[in-house]
Amino acid sequence: MIGFYLNGKPVFGEFNPGTTLFDYLRDQEIFSVKFGSEKGETGADSVLLDGKVMNSSLLLMHTIDGKVIETIESFSQGVDVHPLQEAFIEEGAVQCGYCTPSMILAAESLLRENPTPNDDYVRESLSGVYCRCTGFVKPIQAIMKYATSREDR
Amino acid sequence: MKYYTPSSLSELNDLFLQTNNSKITILSGGTDILPRWEEGITLPKHLIDLKKINSISGIVEHDNKIIIGALTTVQDIYKSELIKTKYTALHQAASQFAGVQIRHRATIGGNICNASPAGDLLPGLYVHNAMIELTGPNGTRKLPINKCITGVGKTTLNNNEIVSAVILEKTEELSVFYKLGLRQSMAISVVNFAIAYRQTSPNLFDLQSIAAGAVAPTVVYLKEFTKAVNEGLPLEKAISLIEHDISPIDDIRASADYRKTVLKNLLTHKLKELYV
Repeated sequence: MIGFYLNGKPVFGEFNPGTTLFDYLRDQEIFSVKFGSEKGETGADSVLLDGKVMNSSLLLMHTIDGKVIETIESFSQGVDVHPLQEAFIEEGAVQCGYCTPSMILAAESLLRENPTPNDDYVRESLSGVYCRCTGFVKPIQAIMKYATSREDR
Repeated sequence: MKYYTPSSLSELNDLFLQTNNSKITILSGGTDILPRWEEGITLPKHLIDLKKINSISGIVEHDNKIIIGALTTVQDIYKSELIKTKYTALHQAASQFAGVQIRHRATIGGNICNASPAGDLLPGLYVHNAMIELTGPNGTRKLPINKCITGVGKTTLNNNEIVSAVILEKTEELSVFYKLGLRQSMAISVVNFAIAYRQTSPNLFDLQSIAAGAVAPTVVYLKEFTKAVNEGLPLEKAISLIEHDISPIDDIRASADYRKTVLKNLLTHKLKELYV
């Protein structure tokens, strides 16, 4: 039996030793976590584990015992999106949207560690996500805009 | 597959004795093992996850040594000020290692045991003469990294041993790391190398060692070349001496010829930067 938090709610269960967090989340219809490859190469499968961004397809369920897992579903409350999501919309940082949840989780992971990042730091934070339509310039602008607006507060 | 999470080295040793002679796989970060399972390699009978053994995680200073626990993540190595200032090649390698997601999970012990010729942390460990601490029911022993890794995916670890720590001597040597991948992040190295050197006067350097990856079955020291440069042979003449120590192959990322040429060019370029 293992137990963990998923988006604030405690979960307990038995899992086959080979099951990954990615398999589990898709079974739970958490579809923001996308299939890219099973090897973590694309980053589209990102989640936060204890606040740090990681590839869910490289995490065995047994290894997340006692951990806190977050997906983008925990960021918005109904129709109210998170200000970081808002910044992505305002900056036109979303085209097909496939990697967008992972980009936002990667940015959030960075911002929890460093609330006032510079441009290079933001670029580096997106290094594990492949985007093949929007590119990276607009998402970087969105993250910088959000980070700066928080500083101003 | 049975899954175990020992929380101390003594619990791990007990497990080794219980599961004697059967197929065991050791799990650290899992960023190299899980992709292999996805490729269809069968699951092991016993999977021992080390992540709850807190005593082999983290970076500590000890007299004239730095001890890096095997479970220390690549991201923790990247963020360490001590590594950045004293073992720059290792810091630079960590900064270019895969992407943030993998760096948060992958460990230095795993990078050593995976024994990839292209493993990015390895050249930095070679030029800083890292000693690898191995632990098992029969006690602890230490080996220089080049005696620990013996081939592609091959190490001298016994079945009931794990890498528990990496030990680096404190040194005045400086170092740099360079990696050529097919893109800036999430790329396996086409070639990589690290250079350790001593600054003898403002514009004069004494090369200590150079180690290159992805040009032979293991990371190799470029001994002949290093010696010739220190004896004053011009770089342009000395550079062909790297061929004594390398044996690159053609693969999906590059041809053997390309690897040889690009290593020569990049090494010459980097050394010229140092000597300016």
